[in-house]
Amino acid sequence: MIINLLSRAITMSTPLFFGSVSEVVAERSGVMVTAIEGIFLLGAWGGFVGTYLWGNAIFGLLLAMICGIAVAAIYGVVTIFMKQHQVVTGTALNILAIGFCAFFQRVLFGIPQIPLQIQPLSVIPIPILSEIPVLGELFFNKNILTYVAYVIIPIIHYMLYHTSLGLAIRSSGENPQAADVAGINVNRLRFLTVLFAGMMGGIAGAFYSVGFLGMFTTNMIGGRGWIAFAICFLGNWQITGAVIGTFVFGLAEALAIYMQSIGGGGFFPNELFIAFPYILTIVLTVMRRNFSVPANLGIPYIKEG
Amino acid sequence: MASLETPLFSLKNISKYFTRVVANNNISFDIRRGEVLALLGENGAGKSTIMKILYGLYQMDEGEILKDGNPIQIDSPKDAIKNGIAMIQQHFSLVSAHTVTENIILGSKRGRIDLRTASREVGEMADKYHFDLDPNALIRDLDVGVQQKVEILKTMFQEAQLLIMDEPTAVLTPQESENLMIFVRQFAAAGHSVIFITHKLKEVMSVADRIIVMRDGEVHGDLLCQETNESELSRLMIGRDLIAPHKPEAVKQMDDKNGLVVRHLSSKEKETVSLSDINFTIKPGEILGVAGVSGNGQEELCEVLIGARAHTTGQVILNYEDLTDLSLRERIAKGIGYVPVNRYRDAFVMSMSLAENMFLKSTYDPVWQRHGFINFSQLNRQTDASILEYNIKAPGADAVTGSLSGGNQQKMLLAREVRLAKSLLILNQPTRGLDLGAINNVHTTILKAREENKCILLISTELSEIFMLSDRIAVMYKGRIVGIYEPKELNTERIGLLMAGFDDHQDEEVAL
Amino acid sequence: MKRILNATWRDMVLTNFAAIVAGIVLSGALLLFLGIDPIFVFSTSIRAILTDGYTAADILLKATPLIMTALAFAFTYKANLFNIGAQGQFYMGAIAAIWLSLELQNRIPTALLLLIVLIVALAAGALIGGLIGFLKERFDSNEFLVSMMSSYVVLALMNYLLRTFLKETKGEYPQTDPIARSAWLPNLIKGTRLHYGFIISVLFAVLIWVLLYKTTLGFRIRAVGQNSRASALSGISPTKIYVIAFLISGALAGVAGFTEMNGVQHMLIQDFNPEMGAAGLGIAILANANPIGIIFASILYGALNVIGTQMGRIPGANVPSSIVSLMQGFVMLFVIMAYYARTKIASRREKNKRKREAALS
Repeated sequence: MIINLLSRAITMSTPLFFGSVSEVVAERSGVMVTAIEGIFLLGAWGGFVGTYLWGNAIFGLLLAMICGIAVAAIYGVVTIFMKQHQVVTGTALNILAIGFCAFFQRVLFGIPQIPLQIQPLSVIPIPILSEIPVLGELFFNKNILTYVAYVIIPIIHYMLYHTSLGLAIRSSGENPQAADVAGINVNRLRFLTVLFAGMMGGIAGAFYSVGFLGMFTTNMIGGRGWIAFAICFLGNWQITGAVIGTFVFGLAEALAIYMQSIGGGGFFPNELFIAFPYILTIVLTVMRRNFSVPANLGIPYIKEG
Repeated sequence: MASLETPLFSLKNISKYFTRVVANNNISFDIRRGEVLALLGENGAGKSTIMKILYGLYQMDEGEILKDGNPIQIDSPKDAIKNGIAMIQQHFSLVSAHTVTENIILGSKRGRIDLRTASREVGEMADKYHFDLDPNALIRDLDVGVQQKVEILKTMFQEAQLLIMDEPTAVLTPQESENLMIFVRQFAAAGHSVIFITHKLKEVMSVADRIIVMRDGEVHGDLLCQETNESELSRLMIGRDLIAPHKPEAVKQMDDKNGLVVRHLSSKEKETVSLSDINFTIKPGEILGVAGVSGNGQEELCEVLIGARAHTTGQVILNYEDLTDLSLRERIAKGIGYVPVNRYRDAFVMSMSLAENMFLKSTYDPVWQRHGFINFSQLNRQTDASILEYNIKAPGADAVTGSLSGGNQQKMLLAREVRLAKSLLILNQPTRGLDLGAINNVHTTILKAREENKCILLISTELSEIFMLSDRIAVMYKGRIVGIYEPKELNTERIGLLMAGFDDHQDEEVAL
Repeated sequence: MKRILNATWRDMVLTNFAAIVAGIVLSGALLLFLGIDPIFVFSTSIRAILTDGYTAADILLKATPLIMTALAFAFTYKANLFNIGAQGQFYMGAIAAIWLSLELQNRIPTALLLLIVLIVALAAGALIGGLIGFLKERFDSNEFLVSMMSSYVVLALMNYLLRTFLKETKGEYPQTDPIARSAWLPNLIKGTRLHYGFIISVLFAVLIWVLLYKTTLGFRIRAVGQNSRASALSGISPTKIYVIAFLISGALAGVAGFTEMNGVQHMLIQDFNPEMGAAGLGIAILANANPIGIIFASILYGALNVIGTQMGRIPGANVPSSIVSLMQGFVMLFVIMAYYARTKIASRREKNKRKREAALS
């Protein structure tokens, strides 16, 4: 049972990995991607639509990335180049995303009599590795997105701490003026990290529709984008912190699903378990100390001249 | 100097308009190879602006830049670096959470970064210039003087032909400044060009080959150093006569107040300088000047005195009353006024009106309110009176504070704080960034407050200001007061040594 | 000075108007994807509003709770805080209102009941808001995340209560019993659904305006919001202000729960009005967080809402309900962009003035 739960936790962590790790990259450059909830939602929708229309999950994932990047691009233009408030802009885009998905779902599919279904991504056991007792079940019996996460996280970590690009990103978030003086185009760099977060967030969203449920509803993200956002913060803006945080939340979510499946009706508060990841966020937010928050996080870089 | 030679860079008819001021108007001059060019002018004369244009930080509205006689386009610092230009900003541009090495290689290394190799390279470079520097230290742990060396190394890494330094001596002791001048001369002797932005005449005379004088955004003189002198430069720079305020002799105290007594004051700071065993007194009607390089605990001292920062030991007594355990709000009520070094951050809400900022420190004082409602008519009347008394250029009490010039904002701040400072007025670098007219104004106000028998603590990094106004002079270094002296006991050299932490007369009794 | 001020006003009106029109036009254009003639559905629904008092009054009805959630966001915004959890505080107020109304109805006079319910709903919202403020004050915890998450927690609580203690007597759906007529907020205009809640909301808006701009407390809140450090050095305690601001903000959102329960819905239904908090944020931004401006911005949002609903009712047109969030989202996005346009216009104007001055001298 415990193995099952942990395995479930890794699966449920996958989208949060994509979301939180790319949020770390964007925030280290100085931009909070508060449109992340909308990016997730549009990714979920794009993934569903692509898969449904072209009958192949690859197209779904591709469309999910494009959708995520599109939301991120609007967000980036308004917050980075137009220098408007990040929280406010994100909220607007999150509302818009709901309306947009609902509307175009209707445009594409009308009012279907039975809920539309797609084949969720299949589990691909890795030969040999998946045979290892316990570990095989935990790590190597997943769908493709989880494996992509395994590969991409170390790459991002390396990029952030061991390349000039990573140094430029971190400097832009700490002291954009210094980065500018050193010849770095701060706003362009920030915009690119936001687009990257959009792409990854798109995949994360697609995990819920394409990778997991095989369907789409406008409330299917239900705050998961915000959880990824919170993990970045709770993980102290470190890739490793985000990975650990993600796993904790994946576990919480796996636990919630499990408890719902066993808990019957009556006065037993199942809802507590649904709310558990959110309560956990509050508790951890309150407990966190000594943040190493990027010094210029959330502040647009304005050049006077 | 071969004037026929094509200059390294030429600026031609450059103009720059800001939303509130004309920063540069039709500026033209050349920068030649191997020369030290001083850009001299008062604060706000447009020196930094023209250099930021050359470095690509600002975009000009009109004009052009030539390199070796050919027009070039500089749209960003990246373009400037490509053209061999490096610039050290007045307020350094270092990432304080990063190491020395990370800061130095930022922007000049591409692709994979092997930090170990990079820090070895930085170490070698530092040795070459005889800089004592740990490549792996975090910037935030370094003194400003050392930080400047990091900035210099950064430009060396970029292999610049032209080095622009914006007010580089502002944060240094006189001796450190001396060393910097030597470096600048050597660097130029090796065939590089240097532009040295400053408002200090002495520095200009000692380091420059050629001098461009700027005033009100325009060039008012292009002279060779050996063909000019300080008084000519001063005239060109100021463009009018200024009479420095006269400081009257100290008056005999008839009051029974005994002023401010600070005993064994210490604090423990994690991020900044801790204070250790601070002792001094200020009599009513006395100005105690505190000299020192900024960042040696001056701001911490002010904030402990006003009650904004916790202390670990010691006592603060004002006119026989122990303030040690009083809160900031209670201390305001006891008549302490404070002019902080950064009025944008610490004193004003810039988006509010002058009247509202007048009210800011009195929200718990019944004077301008009734039953929790603000009495705007009385508040406006007082504000208008202050505008008149302090000769503040503002349309009225409802003018937005941020729309005033820096000098007028400072006058407004003094108006508020002098009014509140019934007993003690604390000033931290009250003339920083002001032009000479405004500086004179501030000095007059301070001397008037002295005549009104207030205790005055004046912190400044400008030694001339300290010597001109102080009745006694304390020198601060690393959170300690190294000594308190009569002005006549000190000269520039000696105070410079004290500011750098050399305790020259250990035997001398610290005046209490 | 006067000229500049007038120009700023003109910019504000023009750019915001353009943003609103652009948002509506763009959403309308999207209707073409569904083969719907936007001009026809818009004109039909606007005609319905203009000719039918009941529909017109619905605009103010929809605006009523929006005024409160917008005030809730704006109030903390003035202290440079983010209360993203107005949705949860609104639900909390609704839970308190419905529960208390069910308990007290037919036992005490209507006026007294409504007064008590109002106060308790207000307190329920304030409880959640105050908690967020307290956590900010005591632990310096990020109020943005905490308030955001608090909404999901309150939602779970509401779902739990609707499944258990507050579930209707029939026991069929996750909703409460309807409250008795005697516990309803009285009608404001006969023949419409508009109730006294609208008056309450407007009064609160005026009250908040007076509080913010005429009292020392409001002054301190604004000062902390615009420069907390300078305020702290002036003897104002920012942390205390945080708690007060969040208490009041939560209370305002709680009142919206009361007006919706006792004025419109008369029962608590699972997942009702899920975008009340976010819409409030949008309205507050549209109104530049000015309490009086919020009244008008809320009426605009109410109008968009009613237009959307009316469109959905046009026989054969099949306009989807998502048109409402589409319109609101686009309007909000364009209003944000209008801020940028205004700063651009203003700075160009100033710069040209400098240029002319330089040319003259």
